[in-house]
Amino acid sequence: MTGHEMDIRHGGAWRLLPGVIPALFILAWIVVSAASLIPTYLLPHPLEIAKSGYTYILGQSGEGPYAGRFLIDSGQSLLRVGCGFAAAVAFGLPLGIVSGRLPVVQRLMSTTVNALRAVPGITWLPLAMVWFGIGVRTTVFLVALAAFFPVYLNAAAGARQVNPVLLQAGAMMGVRRVRGTFAILLPGAMPHLMTGLRLGLGISWAYLVLGELTGVSNGLGAVIMDARMLGRIDMIVVGIIIIAVIGRLSDSLLQAGMRFFFKSARRMA
Amino acid sequence: MRLQLRALASPREKPREKILEIAGVHKIFHGNGNFLHVLEGIDFRAEKGELICIVGRSGCGKSTLLKIVAGFMPPSSGKVLLRSRSVEGPGPERCVIFQEDALFPWLTVQENIAFGLKWKGRDKQARVEEVERFLGLVGLNEFRDYLPGEISGGMKQRVALARVLILKPEVLLMDEPFASLDAQSREEMQNLLLSLWQELGHTILFVTHDVNEAVILADKILLMSKNPGRIREEIRVDLPRPRSRDSSAFLHFSRRLREALRA
Repeated sequence: MTGHEMDIRHGGAWRLLPGVIPALFILAWIVVSAASLIPTYLLPHPLEIAKSGYTYILGQSGEGPYAGRFLIDSGQSLLRVGCGFAAAVAFGLPLGIVSGRLPVVQRLMSTTVNALRAVPGITWLPLAMVWFGIGVRTTVFLVALAAFFPVYLNAAAGARQVNPVLLQAGAMMGVRRVRGTFAILLPGAMPHLMTGLRLGLGISWAYLVLGELTGVSNGLGAVIMDARMLGRIDMIVVGIIIIAVIGRLSDSLLQAGMRFFFKSARRMA
Repeated sequence: MRLQLRALASPREKPREKILEIAGVHKIFHGNGNFLHVLEGIDFRAEKGELICIVGRSGCGKSTLLKIVAGFMPPSSGKVLLRSRSVEGPGPERCVIFQEDALFPWLTVQENIAFGLKWKGRDKQARVEEVERFLGLVGLNEFRDYLPGEISGGMKQRVALARVLILKPEVLLMDEPFASLDAQSREEMQNLLLSLWQELGHTILFVTHDVNEAVILADKILLMSKNPGRIREEIRVDLPRPRSRDSSAFLHFSRRLREALRA
């Protein structure tokens, strides 16, 4: 890193940089709305969105159809994402690590995983509804299924690319098997593990909405679906924005959490 | 004259005991119906505190031999005995300094050095003191909080040395550890190794293709030939220590060894 780059990276402008695109976008939106280029029933004015969002988040229930529902919707959605993602990690991470290290397991799994991976997640929806009915379990199932693949595949790639010399070095220092796995293999694979977890969490949100579009009574996806049927386009947009914000925050939180708990995440990923 | 040099060569004169024995080691690699006789009938022994250099051209099987002694691969036949006990698999009594960078990139210099001790269940205070001591021995006090990616190749090999020396191995196995360093760092590392060796008295097997390096370091040089790899000659290096890289005796010895290697 040159000195010049250092200067840039420590300035206040650097910190504001991620906000530039959203700000420009909203500005363009305001201009478009003010000039009435697009009818409001297709794209409401940002102020109206803000008002709807405010009512949704901070309003008293009873003020309107969506007032004050934010907490319960987002809580439900977070719970579903949490359960589904946790299941994906619980299966995907250990399986991925093992298949990355043991060619037998890798060979055993490869065809199955790649075939299942080729099936778009949405095609599981009808089957899941038959199996689990409409509601939480279908959503959690879809989230877990979708998040499994990126977690598994990246864990496998990460475990595979750990320099064997590091494992040899550990073995000669008396650190192998279980200890070696935690002290060497997992940290060595950390950049890939991180990528897998982040991709998995991201896709969890996508499948959450898919699961919730099927007629559950609450959740962020349910709000969007409900709003569509009632023609409340402002609420659709509010839902989209809230999912974007929560998705972004959960990604940051995941990264911060990993960095807090693992040196290898702090220093390598 | 020869006798006199011999006496000077072992300032730490003490009764020598046999520590490592390589007995009839063969290694054959199989692949696609072919087989390759990499090592044939390797026999030698190392006394306690002896510094042995294994010299040979690339492909003579010297690294394979080291891996077998380390326990990373088994011999096809024959035995490696440490204090008369057969070696099965790697262990902290036979530590390796690898040619390539084998430090844990997510651990600082200090944490890398402490790595092996961490699992040994010693009390924390004693551990901290040990790490402190070995940081000092390899001269890395000021770099303790750096990550491997932030230090030079020479420093990395210092860390590699410290992290195994701290485990008090009986035998140190070094696989061309300084080959990728620039000439000056290499010389520094050779000097450091010699002073650590004189202080701590390890038994060292040092693989190299660099004749000068072997002559500067070794008590004994094992000259290997290839196809199949075997020990062609065992040469005692009777030069007094500390050895000077430009003394005529040194140059003479190096030249002889180079000729022997070419033959």
